[in-house]
Amino acid sequence: MTTNKKISLPEDELVNALKSQNTIAMHALYDMYSAALFGVISRIIPQIEVAEDLLQETFIKIWNSANGYDPEKGRLFTWMMNIARNVAIDKLRSKDYRNAEKNQDIENNVDFIDAQKEVTFNADTLGIKEMVNGLKPELIAVLDMVYFKGYTHVEAAEELNLPLGTIKTRVRMAIIELRKRFN
Amino acid sequence: MDEGRAYIETGILEQYVTGQLTAEERYEVEAMAAKDPEVKQEIASIELTLEKYAMAGARQPRELLRDEILNKILSKPLEVNTESIKPAHEAAIVPLQTKAYETKIKRLYIALIACAVLLIISIAALFSTREKLGNAKNEIIALNLDREKFATEASYLKESNSDLQKIDEITSSPDWKTVKLAGTKMDPKAKMTVYWHPGGQHVMVDNSKMQLPINDQQHQYQLWALVNGKPVDLGVFDVKADSAHILLKMKEIAGAQAFAVTLEKRGGSVGPTMDQMIVMGAVGI
Repeated sequence: MTTNKKISLPEDELVNALKSQNTIAMHALYDMYSAALFGVISRIIPQIEVAEDLLQETFIKIWNSANGYDPEKGRLFTWMMNIARNVAIDKLRSKDYRNAEKNQDIENNVDFIDAQKEVTFNADTLGIKEMVNGLKPELIAVLDMVYFKGYTHVEAAEELNLPLGTIKTRVRMAIIELRKRFN
Repeated sequence: MDEGRAYIETGILEQYVTGQLTAEERYEVEAMAAKDPEVKQEIASIELTLEKYAMAGARQPRELLRDEILNKILSKPLEVNTESIKPAHEAAIVPLQTKAYETKIKRLYIALIACAVLLIISIAALFSTREKLGNAKNEIIALNLDREKFATEASYLKESNSDLQKIDEITSSPDWKTVKLAGTKMDPKAKMTVYWHPGGQHVMVDNSKMQLPINDQQHQYQLWALVNGKPVDLGVFDVKADSAHILLKMKEIAGAQAFAVTLEKRGGSVGPTMDQMIVMGAVGI
């Protein structure tokens, strides 16, 4: 199982393989999407070791609940992204994590900052900076909160002290701006 | 077409893709997408945009994690499979149901407690009512006793009254003779009164004017008429502290010169015991 060759499949083939529990689907999924999912998870849970555990949990859920995915309702990545985000948010809200974080704040400040640095200066994130270059930062900030960090609109509105309608509008505007860029 | 466009403009599709909608709202969007290809196309476009954005924001996990995770998942596929059927959104519904059950159970508990409290109050009320009822019954019994006592008393008074009227009648009537009997040396303070109607042969003893000592259980007083020097028995009587009748009817006698009373054994004697004569009186002419 220790193939170093990265696997990639077209989405419909990948879905079929996943639903028939073909192990090649798992390899392909990991190779194609682990970095993107890890990006979401580590934005919510910055501690690398915890985020790695959550990435594993995410893939277990993807594998186990493959039958729950309906291609008619959306793209495979959207579905996986929701799983990863929920796994990370569940962790964020769990008692053991909040207690551990408190301890870390007191005892292990340096390690924690180092871990954050490691994530922040990851070469992969440079891509996003390029992509959003020239976009209004207030639009991107709201999109990141909602899409990457799993804030609900209500939570984002409270955090940014903005009306709920403004949050919804900004998310939509940010997506429209990004679409223009990709097209 | 316009309807689909307006739907897109609401921004609900972005919320759908970023996971902001409730299960109900998601079904609505999915129904809309199934109906309107433009909506479906719009969703796919938003998804693709965000997918690219997520790819741009990707972070490569460390190299060895790949084998760790894949080995873990693929080494025990069957065991894990049993859990697999649950779709993600169903998991979100279950806690809501338990919450509903919990509130239902809580409500039932409250109802149960209320019922228990009502039951206790009812039992307490029942007991206090029963006690009151018992008290009322006792009162009724007591009142009945009182009533009977009063009735007895009333009838006694009525009788006494009729007796007194009779005495009044007797003393004022010329047909009746009042004979006063005085104490002998056996008891000089003793005295009593006898009414005699020679025509009707009636003899009455007046209890209200009786001043004889109370007789015991073994003895009774016996009234005698002296007819031509011979004693004739007129019956026995008792002297009690409370006598029901004022007038005591004795045996009849047509003619007598005197009356006397002796203390005899209970039931009376054939002839008077002379040394036990307590009162005596002659009939006035």
